[in-house]
Amino acid sequence: MARHKKAVAFDDDLPALDISSLIDCTFLLLIYFLVTTTIQKREQDLDMTLPAAAPSESVPDIDPKFIKVDANGAVSVGAGASQIPMDSDPDSRDLPLLTADLQSYASAAKSAGSNSKPLVQLYVDGGASQQRVIDVLNVLAGVGISNVTFTDLVDP
Amino acid sequence: MSSKLRQSATNEEDDCKLDMSPMIDMVFLLLMFFLVNATVVVVKQDAKVTPPVADKSRKAEDGNGRIVVNVYKDGSFGTELKQPLADEDAITELVKVQKEKMDLLGYKPKLHLRGDKDAVFKYSRKVIRAAAKGGVDQVVFAVYVTGK
Repeated sequence: MARHKKAVAFDDDLPALDISSLIDCTFLLLIYFLVTTTIQKREQDLDMTLPAAAPSESVPDIDPKFIKVDANGAVSVGAGASQIPMDSDPDSRDLPLLTADLQSYASAAKSAGSNSKPLVQLYVDGGASQQRVIDVLNVLAGVGISNVTFTDLVDP
Repeated sequence: MSSKLRQSATNEEDDCKLDMSPMIDMVFLLLMFFLVNATVVVVKQDAKVTPPVADKSRKAEDGNGRIVVNVYKDGSFGTELKQPLADEDAITELVKVQKEKMDLLGYKPKLHLRGDKDAVFKYSRKVIRAAAKGGVDQVVFAVYVTGK
């Protein structure tokens, strides 16, 4: 009994730490950060390699595809007299006509042989919006065409 | 010491006990929530630029070797640290300096073009041309995967 009493007395002597204020403070900080946090939207990548980075010594078996983007956002395929108008609604993110055309071009290139990687040349008017050009690049990425070149224009 | 007094003393001891387990549970839950939601910063994003939307884009994985150029709505240019770039020559100079650094570190330099969705394309073309002059021909367009 005497030993037990001693042990109880020893326990009472141990310093007690009051952590309630610490918890209060932690919660205050947590609420502060929860309230002030703004969630930033995640950006992704849409890659493109300029032709100088991927030079080809052999002439491809398939003709390159010309795509033209006008200042008002209208997209057409082909050059000169053989130009075919495609999607013209600049507010629509999907380009169904261009997608179908590029899909047939990509499959034709695939069946033509190993030396016929699909190649696209983009002619973009200087006044076209960045979003419209990205729409076209998005379609190209979806179809799996990575060889894209921009016609180098000197804009006024 | 009477039995009543002894009883009240034990009651007081019981009241002072603080059960920490729910708080710890909650803290761990919050920690896990933030860990799962956290994304590694690939490049510093200038809030003045709203990138276009492209749903076929791919996740940005490697942040190394990126030379960031912001193209604002009004056609002005800026670096990753929001310093203004006056013209094409300034961009070429920046690309050359950054390319040398990347080459020393062994990273493949690429142009990370953060163009505003409403900016006209001729400004982006200027940046691409200036970067090509500086010896960088890999271009990465910064896009959002959805418009929401």
